[in-house]
Amino acid sequence: MAMNPESGLPDEQREKVSRRTFIKGASAVAAVGVVQIPGAAAGIDKAGVEPDILGPGPVSIRLRVNRSDLDVEAPPSTTLLDLLRDHHGLTGTKRVCDRGSCGACTVLIDGRVVDSCSMLAIDAIGSEITTIEGIGTPENLSDLQQAFIETDALQCGFCTPGMVVSCTALLEQNPSPDRDQIRQGIAGNICRCGTYQNVIEAVEYASRKGGK
Amino acid sequence: MKPFQVALPSTIDQASKLQLKDASPFMAAGTDLLVRIKDYVTVPDMIIDLKRIDGINGITSDDRGVWLGALTRMHDVAVSEKIQQGYPALAETIRNAATPQIRNMATIGGNICQQPRCWYLRHEGYSCAKNGGSGCWARDGENEFHAIFGNKVCAVVQPSNAAPVLVAYGAVIEVQGSDGKREIPAGEFFVTPEQDPRKDVDLTSGELVTRILLPAENRTTRWGYSEAREKQSFDWALASVTVLLDRGGRAGEHRVVLGAVSPVPLRRKDLEKILAGGAVDGDRISSLKKKVGEGATPLSGNGYKVQMLQGLIGKAVRQASGQKEG
Repeated sequence: MAMNPESGLPDEQREKVSRRTFIKGASAVAAVGVVQIPGAAAGIDKAGVEPDILGPGPVSIRLRVNRSDLDVEAPPSTTLLDLLRDHHGLTGTKRVCDRGSCGACTVLIDGRVVDSCSMLAIDAIGSEITTIEGIGTPENLSDLQQAFIETDALQCGFCTPGMVVSCTALLEQNPSPDRDQIRQGIAGNICRCGTYQNVIEAVEYASRKGGK
Repeated sequence: MKPFQVALPSTIDQASKLQLKDASPFMAAGTDLLVRIKDYVTVPDMIIDLKRIDGINGITSDDRGVWLGALTRMHDVAVSEKIQQGYPALAETIRNAATPQIRNMATIGGNICQQPRCWYLRHEGYSCAKNGGSGCWARDGENEFHAIFGNKVCAVVQPSNAAPVLVAYGAVIEVQGSDGKREIPAGEFFVTPEQDPRKDVDLTSGELVTRILLPAENRTTRWGYSEAREKQSFDWALASVTVLLDRGGRAGEHRVVLGAVSPVPLRRKDLEKILAGGAVDGDRISSLKKKVGEGATPLSGNGYKVQMLQGLIGKAVRQASGQKEG
């Protein structure tokens, strides 16, 4: 029987469970019995002679995401992206290449864009993480998100969360970027539909309105 | 990705001892290592995360020059005033490297220690001289991005954009293990396949890069850097040329270093000699173009890099000597 190396489930069995149910179910189980080991995951025990060694099993990880503390038990080898999506249900951040090449997983760490697939979640402990869910909501879009709608800056939409996060960071640092600066700002975000031109227009639109 | 342990040393000594014990890999940002783990090229039981080590992050300066802590993010190197003013070619190459996301994550120490991007080396199905087997698949295989110089044993190209520029500035790589510190000139830090195909850089087990020194005496204002890629964003150089004229203000002390065309950054003393012969004019640029491909042994798919270098060297030299693009 073929076993899936990641889920540890037989492939046949895995196909019967919808991926979404499986993940939601797994997070619910993990949420029971969270044990906080203060400092252990953050590695702050500087006085110790022996370094902390975490895992390979789950450890307590507390992250500051969208201005709230989120606690989870996850293996220390979990990437920030997988932790956000699979453990916190923040599925706005997309998993596409999972190799730091496409930017669909872009989030802000202390205001700077990073590829959340290419770092471990434990290395984000103590930082302020902002995902697309922290930028706006369907009821309360950010000016830039509204600009994406006005300028038709998405087609299939899969790169859009990453694009919006990158453009939000860009406008934060430079409220009136020129076209070259916008291109540089989205240089790490790939859109396979090729909607770059409209993304650039969205940033200009938001910038003209003085929004972010 | 197979789950692994993560060790969080807080000192260099702890990190070093952990690696000596069971050869676990060091991780700075992880932008290279995590990809190799996901692709099952490396399947470690444990990784040693260096980010909690004090004293190897940030940019400082003293009478010897500017020191880049190994954990300094690429973005912070590129925007540093000390670097932009004294070593502008370094700021320029990093400003254009990879993506904003990667530059915010990747460290300068990790950048010079990253594994080459050879697709055979980074495929779990291939064994070659570089990963413990023998031979080089690229020599008779797909090699359009591979080396045109020094490619007999292994045809990888050194993947760091910053590396050739560090060599040009005469940077010094400070490394430390449990036996103490060593300082290695950047020009000797990168290991050729002839020296040891298994190694990319001159680090022994338990040693890690702690700081990089850009010597005060090599601050240079007359510089040129040119690079060609397939696309403008997020790509590696197909070839690059770094030119420093009158390095450190010393007349006639020039540096020409080629990147992405050989397994290590390639300093070209023969080209430096041509530059030392007199003013940079059309004739001198023609001589450089004629000479730059000398010694190249292109493979089936990468002969274009010779012509590319001819264009790039003209561009870099004109930039360095303040002439308009021709």
